[in-house]
Amino acid sequence: MRGLEIAGAWLLGILWVAPLLYAVWTAFHPAAYATHFSLFAPLTLHNFVQAWNAAPFARYFLNTTLLVSLVLVAQFVLCTPAAFAFARLEFPGRDTLFAIVLLQLMVMPDVLLVGNYHILSQLGLVDTILGIALPYLGSAFGIFLLRQTFRTVPQELDDAARLEGCTLLARLWRVYVPLARPTYIAYGLVSVSYHWNNFLWPLVITNSVSTRPLTVGLAVFSSVEQGIDWSIITAATLMTSAPLLLAFLLFQRQFVQSFMRAGIR
Amino acid sequence: MTRPNPQALRSCQLPAGAAVRLRSVSRRFGAVTALDSVSLEVPAGSFCVLLGPSGCGKTTCLRIVAGLEQASGGTVEIGGRDVTNLPPAERGVAMVFQSYALFPHLNVEENIVFGLKARGVAKPERARRLEYASAILGIGALLTRRPGQLSGGQQQRVALGRAIVAESPVCLMDEPLSNLDAKLRAEMRHELLALQRRLGITMLYVTHDQTEAMGMADQVVLLHDGHIEQDASPAEIYARPATAFAAGFIGTPPMNLIPLEPGEGGLVARGTAGPVLAPMLNTQTLAGVRPEALRLADGGIPAIVLHSEYLGADTVLACSVGEGARVLARLPGHAGLAEGSRVRLAAESCDIHHFDAATGRRLGTAAQAA
Repeated sequence: MRGLEIAGAWLLGILWVAPLLYAVWTAFHPAAYATHFSLFAPLTLHNFVQAWNAAPFARYFLNTTLLVSLVLVAQFVLCTPAAFAFARLEFPGRDTLFAIVLLQLMVMPDVLLVGNYHILSQLGLVDTILGIALPYLGSAFGIFLLRQTFRTVPQELDDAARLEGCTLLARLWRVYVPLARPTYIAYGLVSVSYHWNNFLWPLVITNSVSTRPLTVGLAVFSSVEQGIDWSIITAATLMTSAPLLLAFLLFQRQFVQSFMRAGIR
Repeated sequence: MTRPNPQALRSCQLPAGAAVRLRSVSRRFGAVTALDSVSLEVPAGSFCVLLGPSGCGKTTCLRIVAGLEQASGGTVEIGGRDVTNLPPAERGVAMVFQSYALFPHLNVEENIVFGLKARGVAKPERARRLEYASAILGIGALLTRRPGQLSGGQQQRVALGRAIVAESPVCLMDEPLSNLDAKLRAEMRHELLALQRRLGITMLYVTHDQTEAMGMADQVVLLHDGHIEQDASPAEIYARPATAFAAGFIGTPPMNLIPLEPGEGGLVARGTAGPVLAPMLNTQTLAGVRPEALRLADGGIPAIVLHSEYLGADTVLACSVGEGARVLARLPGHAGLAEGSRVRLAAESCDIHHFDAATGRRLGTAAQAA
């Protein structure tokens, strides 16, 4: 029974990592070896050079970095006070409002593609980085997560800060936010990886090099009209996912720990 | 742990206490009344203990003084100033919480000066007060540690430090010793009292532990179901409990309350033929006798020993009197009485208290009534 479990785990692991292994293999070898395995195939970085020169990846990196930073900062700034209000302030209709916020979790962003596009075009934000970010700045998930964390902060800590003369905002900033740090990290990781990899919405809303994030840039780069060269495509793919991949490998332990601490599995 | 440094102590100005006065303060949560028109006066610089079983309203009372909760009615005065509608920070109170409420993300030093920073106290002044508090409490070596790295007793000291540096005239404490072990609790009791005397601050101290109340207080306020049962000095509350509840709460073990019935020549313990424990005052009367006031003597109340507990210096006898009233007697030394043996328990008439069984009110001692 135990052996079966281990075998299953290995099988799933290999299935999961196979495309990545294939990408690494192809990217580091000449095109001739893309579908042809030979232990003595010569290693090369040529594919990376070619991919880097074939499309404005530097610009795409910049766009993606701007995008995820903008989204992350805005989400923290907007979710924190909302979560605090839902967690600790008493006002009429609080629970109803919170239920409405939670409803947003049930709406797939893709459903709103057309509606969002319509609104953003009216705002004149089509093909801007702000335009890509705007639909995601208020996050029900972030509000929910932070609210749950804020609710676990002992009331006595809040009382102590109140006695010491802290205003509402000072209490939020000096007591609640520092104590919710693991949640901020976990949520930040989720948010960054989601928006780094997000594809459909940026594809719809952008149409120029100066705004396209990596995912869209990569798709344009590997479209059929360009002719398909797997070596270069995999090299570009590795290149674009490398920062996230590296970050995950480096922060693996903290990543998992902060999720455990924040209570998300 | 390092001992307090006397030189640092002398060099500092002491904050003086302020009187605290509550006038018919009430607190209702919907239909539930947590505090019912409580009036209370604590003189400046004195140590007042709010005592009572859990759920009696003592913590609510303290939180109303702190301003963490609003009274439904009545006023709170601190130092002669009506603070009923002031926010907690402007009332001149410091507070030590049951859980200590130390900020886990700050080290000891940052915890202690947290409030001074929030109030914008200048840096040299912060340093002076920090040094003063850490000298008094002997926590100089712990300043860079996080609360999670401290023992319960050390956390308690840090919480005290935070209250000391505030230099507030009034200090509120909510069961500050309940999370410590018995030995440390006894030590901290002495230290708290010495600290309060040295600083001259007014202390409002909530506890359910009567040992703490008896040992520390200038004034004990016994609360029960949201009202004050008795407000008196520890000696007074022990010697002349105002109600049957106060009698049954104070003392280890607490006072025996024996139901009486009319007999020959006066009231006798229910189900016995004598002796007379009270004159014919009121047929619904309870006789109260402290276990330590009882002795074995001929002509006493007939009783059957149920259980005998030898404690070293004395023995606590649990007896059954008349129709099943349970009476405890604390006898010096090793009394060595077998279960089921018949004894007679007697007390001086001045040690017998009388309470109205219906209202619980005190009726005056036998000596006065006779």
